[in-house]
Amino acid sequence: MLSRLLLLLTALASLSQGSRAHGTELPSPFSVWFEARFFEHILRWTHIPVQSESTYYEVALKKYGNTTWKDIHSCRKVQASSCDLTKFTLDLYRSRGYLARVRAVDNNKYSNWTVTETRFTVDEVILTVGSVTLEVTHDRVFGTIHPPRPQIVPAGDEYEQIFENFRKYMVSIRKIQEEKNTTMTVEQENFSLKVPREMGEFCIKVKPLVETRSNRAEWSEEQCLHLTEQYFTLTNLSILFTSILILCGALVCLALQHYIRRRPRKLPAVLVFEKPHDFLPVNPVCPETLNTVHILDLEAFRKVSPELRDSVLHGSTDSGFGSGKPSLQTEESQFLLPGSHLQAQGTLGKEELLELRDSCGDNTDSGICLQEPSLHSSMGPAWKQPFGFTSQGQEDNDINLIQSSPGQPKNTQSDSALDHVHILEPGVSEEKDQVTVTSQGYQKQTQWKEGAADPAGHVDKELSLTDDFDPKLRVCLQAELTWPPPALAKGYLKQESQGVTPAPAGTQSKQWSQLTEEWSLLGVVSCDDLSTEGWNFAPKLAPLDYGAAPGGLLDSFDSNLATLPLISSLQVEE
Amino acid sequence: MKTPCISHWLLGMALILCSVHTRSLRRCLSSVDVHHIEQSFWGIRRALQTKDTFKNITILSSLKNLDSIKPVDVCCVTRHLLTFYRDRVFKDHQETSHKVMREISKIANLFLQMQNTLEQCQEKLQCGCSQEATNATRIVQDNYNQLEVSSAALKSLGELDIFLAWIGKNHRETSAA
Repeated sequence: MLSRLLLLLTALASLSQGSRAHGTELPSPFSVWFEARFFEHILRWTHIPVQSESTYYEVALKKYGNTTWKDIHSCRKVQASSCDLTKFTLDLYRSRGYLARVRAVDNNKYSNWTVTETRFTVDEVILTVGSVTLEVTHDRVFGTIHPPRPQIVPAGDEYEQIFENFRKYMVSIRKIQEEKNTTMTVEQENFSLKVPREMGEFCIKVKPLVETRSNRAEWSEEQCLHLTEQYFTLTNLSILFTSILILCGALVCLALQHYIRRRPRKLPAVLVFEKPHDFLPVNPVCPETLNTVHILDLEAFRKVSPELRDSVLHGSTDSGFGSGKPSLQTEESQFLLPGSHLQAQGTLGKEELLELRDSCGDNTDSGICLQEPSLHSSMGPAWKQPFGFTSQGQEDNDINLIQSSPGQPKNTQSDSALDHVHILEPGVSEEKDQVTVTSQGYQKQTQWKEGAADPAGHVDKELSLTDDFDPKLRVCLQAELTWPPPALAKGYLKQESQGVTPAPAGTQSKQWSQLTEEWSLLGVVSCDDLSTEGWNFAPKLAPLDYGAAPGGLLDSFDSNLATLPLISSLQVEE
Repeated sequence: MKTPCISHWLLGMALILCSVHTRSLRRCLSSVDVHHIEQSFWGIRRALQTKDTFKNITILSSLKNLDSIKPVDVCCVTRHLLTFYRDRVFKDHQETSHKVMREISKIANLFLQMQNTLEQCQEKLQCGCSQEATNATRIVQDNYNQLEVSSAALKSLGELDIFLAWIGKNHRETSAA
């Protein structure tokens, strides 16, 4: 009996050893655990210490509280150490949890099962974020946190529904240069951070959490941003563009001004003397000057003598007439300014104006300018004031330009303080033996208002200026003065003056005789036909003496004088 | 005709009162208290569950059947389970680790606070137990009795997460949204 019991016990022991050898031939995995994220449930285990190439592992799964294990055949892989059990645990977040076990198998040798130490529940799920979007605008960083969105998630089990309440996110900002972290907690998936521009480069990462849970969480991938000073902002660019436009406009204006200044000035085509308007400033010196150009009566005009023709009556910058050679050299340019005729005449004809225009290129005179071609260009004779003649003392607002010929005695005048200058000089004659009468400066004939009623007195006054003048000239002047005042007041007659030496008083009679002889033409206003040799600008000749002496002579010359051209004298009729 | 109207009116009022009662009860236990227990439990969960050798048996798993419990029974079931843990589980468990023991004591104290809060709400509102609620709590106690006391207590402590999840679901405050 006892022997039978011993045999039975031995058989049972051998059987149990055999079974243990079958189950324990292979060591079991040391540990089995779940590593899960949101709908990513991975079962992991450790390999057995001694495994062959044919060793594989069996995985089984069951719900907590059930008694039946479910084998997961898809996890039977050689030398595998993990298995995705997500699709077998889809209700994890609404159940009490799962248990899993693993054993090693090799050549029909099985190890023991190793069971997970804890229940696999939602509390073991590691919280993560799907992605983080960062947007930099000016000085703020706007972030958007995207929860995980696995495709295997069943409907109704999204992250926001599983963890419906108390979701929060930790945002960490790390400045690269300083390696300093700043962490803040936001309660929504959208957040904004105010980052100063001088922060430079920094990195942001996000970690989710649920305030009522103790789940572990992982940080998202770090995203780095680099902020720099926005120099090229819209405002800055608009300011820069506006500044460039203004600068270009200023440069264009300067260039235009420079171009305009460098352009040669052109004389006005037509010098039209109109009746002064009320609002126009009146010449303070000659307020009643008639700036009209009277058309000359060509028939009444007698050809000017060559001397007169050659006389240089240069244009000036004054507002009166200026006579020049071109105008005298042509018949059309010969003009006569009779007193009565001139009053009825209007402005010059166009032809005369054109001639004047051409000859007065550089003349700033607002009146008619009769100018030599030589004077039109810069090659003209140099002008200079005569000795003792200054324009400062004159109230004449016109420029007095006097041409001084070399070798010619310069004209000297005594007192030029009067309103007008009486320098009647003919043009320069190249022949020395010719009596050339050149006048210096301008003859301004604007102040006849006082002398209109008393031409004699005016004559006296005029003669006082011409104390140094030759009697011939004086006579000429007197003749002009006694003429009926013309209707014109055409400004100034600029005459080129040659050096005229005043003749002594004793030669007056001789000079007068010469004057009558040569007075066969309508004398130029400047009395060009008068010889300059006998001219004597004696300053101390008594005006009365001269006034009386020429009076008788003038009577005889009335007929001639009446036809004398008034080229040299432009009287202002008041 | 007036009688049906009155009956309908009374029924509507009863339903309104029940809903108000339920909502009021739900507001008795704040989610913050449950969270504190969960935090304490998470620290000792692995230690407790690792020692559980009877993984095929569950004590509180029958609560899954209580997911369909009516709102009016939630108060009764909650009150009975809180009493079960205070009177049997915490007293029967023998813990050698001081860290674990500290956390268990913390959890026990929080359970007492929850029980006091719930009793104050019950003074204002009726918290009667139906037959279904009574049957649910009796199953839990029967499962606890099938195991050895230490193993049962250990397993019950290990299933605190189930109980706390059920409390949070049934006693969750209405969100601000």
